[in-house]
Amino acid sequence: MGQAAMVGKDAPVVRVQDFVKRYRKQMAVDGASLSIDRGEIYGLIGPDGAGKSSLMKAIAGVLSFDGGTLHIFGEKIDSEAAAERVKGRLGFMPQGLGLNLYPELSVEENIDFFAELRDVPPAELAQRKHKLLAMTRLDNFRDRPMKQLSGGMKQKLGLVCTLIHEPELIILDEPTTGVDPVSRRDFWMILTQLLRERGVTALVSTAYMDEAARFHRLSLMFDGRVLIEGEPDTILREVPGALVELVAEPQVEALLRLKTRFPQAEAVGPKLRVFVPGATPQLARAQVEAQLEGLMVSEMQAVAPELEDAFIALLQQRQPAGQDDARQTQVWLDGDPPKGDGIAIAARELSRDFDHFRAVDRVSFEVRQGEIFGLLGANGAGKTTAIKMLTGILPPTGGAGTVAGADMRRAGLAIKGRIGYVSQAFSLYQDMTVQENLRLFARIYGVPGSRLAERIGRVVALAGLSGVTAQLVSKLPMGIRQRLALACALVHGPRVLFLDEPTSGVDPIGRRRFWEILVHLARIEQVAILITTHYMSEAEHCDHLALMHAGRIIADDTPAALKAALQQEAGQVLDIGAEPVLPALEALEQAGFSDAALFGERIHLLARDITAAEARIRTLFAERGIQLRDIAPRTPTLEDVFVHRILQQEQQEASA
Amino acid sequence: MNGDPAESRARLYLWWSRLAAMTAKELIQFGRDTLLLIAIAYLFIFDIYMAGSVSMQLNHAVVVVHDADHSAASRELVYRFRPPYFKLGGEVLDNREGQRLLDQGQALVVLDIPPDFEHDIRKGKPVDVQVQVDASNTVLGFLAASYSAQIIGQYGFDQALSRLGVTERSIQNVPMIQSQHRVWYNPNQRDAWFMPIAELLTVITIMAIMLPAAAAVREKERGTIEQLLVSPLTPIQILLPKVIAMTLVILLGTAVSLFFVLYGMFDVPMKGSLVLFFAVTTLYTFTTAGLGLYIATLSRNLAQAALLAILVLMPMIFLSGAWTPPEAMPAGMRTAMFLSPLYYFIEMGYGILLKGAGLDVLWDSLQGLALLGMVIFGFGVWRFKRQFG
Repeated sequence: MGQAAMVGKDAPVVRVQDFVKRYRKQMAVDGASLSIDRGEIYGLIGPDGAGKSSLMKAIAGVLSFDGGTLHIFGEKIDSEAAAERVKGRLGFMPQGLGLNLYPELSVEENIDFFAELRDVPPAELAQRKHKLLAMTRLDNFRDRPMKQLSGGMKQKLGLVCTLIHEPELIILDEPTTGVDPVSRRDFWMILTQLLRERGVTALVSTAYMDEAARFHRLSLMFDGRVLIEGEPDTILREVPGALVELVAEPQVEALLRLKTRFPQAEAVGPKLRVFVPGATPQLARAQVEAQLEGLMVSEMQAVAPELEDAFIALLQQRQPAGQDDARQTQVWLDGDPPKGDGIAIAARELSRDFDHFRAVDRVSFEVRQGEIFGLLGANGAGKTTAIKMLTGILPPTGGAGTVAGADMRRAGLAIKGRIGYVSQAFSLYQDMTVQENLRLFARIYGVPGSRLAERIGRVVALAGLSGVTAQLVSKLPMGIRQRLALACALVHGPRVLFLDEPTSGVDPIGRRRFWEILVHLARIEQVAILITTHYMSEAEHCDHLALMHAGRIIADDTPAALKAALQQEAGQVLDIGAEPVLPALEALEQAGFSDAALFGERIHLLARDITAAEARIRTLFAERGIQLRDIAPRTPTLEDVFVHRILQQEQQEASA
Repeated sequence: MNGDPAESRARLYLWWSRLAAMTAKELIQFGRDTLLLIAIAYLFIFDIYMAGSVSMQLNHAVVVVHDADHSAASRELVYRFRPPYFKLGGEVLDNREGQRLLDQGQALVVLDIPPDFEHDIRKGKPVDVQVQVDASNTVLGFLAASYSAQIIGQYGFDQALSRLGVTERSIQNVPMIQSQHRVWYNPNQRDAWFMPIAELLTVITIMAIMLPAAAAVREKERGTIEQLLVSPLTPIQILLPKVIAMTLVILLGTAVSLFFVLYGMFDVPMKGSLVLFFAVTTLYTFTTAGLGLYIATLSRNLAQAALLAILVLMPMIFLSGAWTPPEAMPAGMRTAMFLSPLYYFIEMGYGILLKGAGLDVLWDSLQGLALLGMVIFGFGVWRFKRQFG
């Protein structure tokens, strides 16, 4: 690919060879090799514990390592002194929202502090500060203490502080984890803009697979190793296979059949998604059709696999996931689950004030038995407050609601006994074993002693925990912990389940396992599920989505309908490959495509009339001597919906 | 809550079953915390042992002598400074040397005998002996000064008698008043009885505040409280198990300390009813835990809780009489002592263990403890409920 415009031909900025890092006996990174060229955004993708942070810290010169070589700016880093020599030329932002900042200091004081630390001359500081604050839209908040900023703003401030000494290489460790899609998009915009203007190099890690398209090149890391490295397209080519999407009735039966042959089959809302490794699209369709013989199959189409499919395929080559009969197990307490027409959760005009601040503003929605309901929104949009009211922790200021047949204003304790709850942060006892945790929650929820063993047995089977019941929770990986949290929430057989960002930091395979269980609970056992998430790929699983902004619900529909509405209103996303890409972006912006954004090597923009837009772009590029390699419409993703709706709302508020 | 009896019985059973499950959880977690276990073993065993081993008495205090006389009489006086209280640290040639040793802390007492000491005694002239005492530690300084005065006085008395020609036999005819005192409760005045009891009661107090506070703050710190709050547990069912479990732990520690250290190593007599002692200890730890719960509501993490606990513990111990007897307090602080639950506990602890006192004697203290304790516990529970209700 022609990267000449952005990527210099000189020696790589970072070269890592056979890197090894151990913590006592624990292997954190086991022989990783990669090289990063000047002007690149290089991605490290992988779940928690894959070794990303250790590798990044070593490159930033704040962590010693046990084996291999590390060159930065051509300098071999083999001692503290060598690391010190390059430190002035790089910037490092550690993981965690605003963890490198000082909560009591204001935005400006934080920036000044980092500038002083780096010996930035006052005149230059004033100039850079002005520019960076304007770019991050933080200039109105100069005097606000950092602790009062939202999660997204903290991350932007962290970025400003990292950039204040104009480093040549910036290392950002999971800068977008726990940040809502709008702030995430902002963040990327700033980053790409800086790269364009100053030609800095960036090493960025993420747990979100869908951010992969933002990178020029990336490494998929797992268990301390680099599974595969390269450009996103190359990686997809190197993991051959086809993805088939279809709708089948009955879905549960179809999924079970597919699972027996294709481990990478999953239900996403009304659709089924099957990755057929090593097959061409035609062959994949034929194989899937054969497997589903006799069922009602419609809307079958072969689509391009995503990076996440490739990642999971790679992982499964390495360690085939054990198939257990989890999906055959019923958790239901007694007899048949009720039929799926009852309303499990109803919120009517629910409001909650904190002092003078309205956290939740007249929110109404309904969740039926057997339905998966997704509550989306930025940090601080009011999701958690809404959940707290519905679970009876927080009394509402106004409005009403029923949960599992009980009035939330009067029967808080009754509600608590009838629901299951999995919280945002893992909140089980890490110094106790899996079995002890399950026993504790079973007894808290009043499971009678005679049924204790049976109930625990069921949820253990459902969550696939049978091998680890005697282990201490602190020894378990995130994915299994979250399944344990789910098992604890289900041990008393609730009909309503609340999940608050249950999969943050869980690896893709772990997330898939988790969702398999959720889908089973909803489809087969008719459990009503209310879930919040920042992963847009997870939102696709929901039957119904509500988008919250500033305490209000601003959109409420099925994922398909939300996307269709966006397409109707704002048009479609045009995915453009151009050469050279930066002048192309500038040309588009000057021509009035204000929402044109850089995605790695590609440009995305929204257009209502695609044909007209395409024609305009062709002439524009021809005039400027820019080569248009390809241009194609793409159906909007839920992230597009999310970002569009919220920006729209913000504009309305601003004009009002 | 009327309903039929079977239903309310089931509800009651569920209530207790939840409490039991939570208490078991607290004990499991406690057992897994190696560092905490070591700390508790240290406090209940080694700390008490050390408190019993040190003494507040003079023990081989170094005496240096500047003897300008070098006579039989001066030697006799010098050799009366004997172990176990004193130890001769040699002679110095002049007073300045003695001063230097005092300054450097190498001597506690400098005894200065003037020239012509023997000569003057023989002549019947009054003689002055200079005793310089390092009183930077007031207790030791006071003891050294008064023991020295006693030794020198006795020596002078003996000299006077012999000069008067009083013999062993005729001594009965000399008019003298002898003080015949009886020391009760601790006849040998062994510090090894007094000190470790005070220490044990102090350790119980520290644990009674720290353990429940730590157990509650840990839930906040690790976010586990969230899972409990969405469960059908009431705040009482969350806090009570912590208090119960930690009271059990403290009672166990107390028993080990009492039987193995106090009784086993120091022969503390344990005159009174042990049942009464443990009953009082239970009441004390349970109610004092209220302070721990209060601290837990104020702090966000373990470090804050520990700091706050120290803030509460210091005046509580200071005003209890464990370190300073009430008789040594100014009037205002003596009144304030009634606000320290440890004051009552120490009264009762000494009363039961050393004096063999029963409820009839300790009734007032028990009432004071119960009243104060209930207020403290009630306050802690109220705060906890307000924060987590």
